[in-house]
Amino acid sequence: MNDSRDHFTSGVPTGRETWTELKLSPDQYRRLASRYRLRYLWRASGFLAPYMILWFLFLAIPVGWAIFLSFNDGGVLDARYWVGFDNWARTLDDSELKQVVVNTSLFVVLAITIVFGLAIFLASLINNHRRGANFFKVTLYFPLLAPPILGAMIWHFMLHFDFGIVNLIQRGVFGGEGFNFLGKNPQAMFAIIAVEIWRGLGFWVLFYLAGLQSVPGELLDAAKLDGARSVRRFLRISVPILKPLFLFALVIAIIMNFQLFDSVKILTDGGPRMGTATIVWFIYRRMFAFQDTGLAFSASVGLLIGTMVLTLICFWLLGQRKKREA
Amino acid sequence: MSTANKRKSGESSTHQKYHSGLARHLFANRARAFFAYLILLFFVVFAVGPVFYLVSPALRDSVSLFEYPPQWIPDEPTLDNFRFLFNKTRYLSWAFNTVIFAAGTTIISLFTNVLAGYAFARLQFPGRNILFFVVLATLMVPVAAVLAPTYLLVRELGEIPIIGRPFFGLDTYLGLILPCTVSPLGVFMMRQFISTLPVGLYEAARLDGASEWRILFKIVLPLIKPALVVLGIFVFMITWANFLWPLVAASGDDYRVLTVGIASLKGQFVTHWGVLAAASLMTLIPVTIVFLFFQKWFVQASMAGALKQ
Repeated sequence: MNDSRDHFTSGVPTGRETWTELKLSPDQYRRLASRYRLRYLWRASGFLAPYMILWFLFLAIPVGWAIFLSFNDGGVLDARYWVGFDNWARTLDDSELKQVVVNTSLFVVLAITIVFGLAIFLASLINNHRRGANFFKVTLYFPLLAPPILGAMIWHFMLHFDFGIVNLIQRGVFGGEGFNFLGKNPQAMFAIIAVEIWRGLGFWVLFYLAGLQSVPGELLDAAKLDGARSVRRFLRISVPILKPLFLFALVIAIIMNFQLFDSVKILTDGGPRMGTATIVWFIYRRMFAFQDTGLAFSASVGLLIGTMVLTLICFWLLGQRKKREA
Repeated sequence: MSTANKRKSGESSTHQKYHSGLARHLFANRARAFFAYLILLFFVVFAVGPVFYLVSPALRDSVSLFEYPPQWIPDEPTLDNFRFLFNKTRYLSWAFNTVIFAAGTTIISLFTNVLAGYAFARLQFPGRNILFFVVLATLMVPVAAVLAPTYLLVRELGEIPIIGRPFFGLDTYLGLILPCTVSPLGVFMMRQFISTLPVGLYEAARLDGASEWRILFKIVLPLIKPALVVLGIFVFMITWANFLWPLVAASGDDYRVLTVGIASLKGQFVTHWGVLAAASLMTLIPVTIVFLFFQKWFVQASMAGALKQ
């Protein structure tokens, strides 16, 4: 990285030249070099300032402040006071937080398994049957246009006890009472998962479709000539080629899904007896409803650290992919 | 190779056998295609069905929703829900605020991201790589984690005499917009894209005596137009869907955006479901029209944003 200088800046002293090459005395040379460095910094700062000022104000300071406040207690609006590691100790044995983490993990595992399975299946269907591919791409992508809270609103009309379309059909076909999707415990989580699948499916189908189309056709044709059936071709050729892409997608999907909030807030607001409460929902409640900022901030910093670790893994995977391509 | 040859000769040993094999093959293909399209159509209905179903409750009285058997097609369609939406709520003002919020965020982020991306890709300065790494480290900071500190900060900055209200602070456009423009994703994308442009272009321009700003505006910007469109659509879509930040930063009625406004329609005790359906439809129709015109760009934008979304 350090030596990726452009050609037109190559005349600038780097400080690594041997002294004998230079006509200037060491002192003069040092002065010149630092003047150049300052000039370069000044020139770059004009480009960097607009972004870096905003970044510092609204990202760096809040992150630092959140970490600082996780060692304090007191409301959002009241005076805070230092409590050291108390919040962190509470974080580790708060039963509500434990349940919230379990809920979110369960959601992440189920939602990602279902969405990825369906997406890979549908993508390979579209890839094998090209007629109307564009129509399917566009219609499957469509739900992504709705903001998450709008998606949740729309799904009220699917799942509501009295007028949800699923219930109406069920009552019409089987008779009897409707099915209480949002008011009972395992079902409520499945309702949330359904909404998230509805919004996410199109994106992942397109993602895997792009991946499948990058599999070289010669390989598939050669395997076909050798008599490999489509399932075998998929498992032995497409899957190994798509593996890095899949791992990358997995990490991103985990990061995304751990921040589930909007649809929970609208559909169940934590659900029957915390059944659908997620980490972000917990943070939001503690912060703005209970004013228990200490726990909220230590939970947020925990979330922050978790996401950072996942991001690092993600970049590591990207690096692996580049190495393989090179 | 040998197996393939054997198969071929085996298949064409008798004309009859070859023929029936081909027919069977074609039939199997047809059947497979039929089931494939059946499954795909099912998921198309799953994707767009819920939105189409909204038309029915939007054109009905909210009370009739609770009747059984249901009226799938409204007996007497009314536009009362839409009338309520435009006369009794401030829907148009929400929509206007959303446009200002999303467009402002898009323009400001494009501007700052291009400049910073150019600096990280093409300019030499001490500490460049360290600075870039620090910025990149904040890529995945969850919004929820920094929500409260950002809220407090914007509130405090709003109290400062000259730069504060009415220009900046809670319940101002800038207070809503600026904290949403700081995602490092755009900088990262722009840096990646600019550094793929051939170095020869810069050298030629430099030799002709162009300044860095001139190079950026006359040479780099025209070349990265597609990337700018992709990033612009991505930022716009993310911003107008944002719910959490406008919920805390612009709770006043004058600066409320669509997502918060529609959420506020779902009352604590009584909800006008018909109005809610009408509002959802009204919100989705313009986006859908824009989407149908620029599908390709949308798809590219969401792929590029895979890192964040």
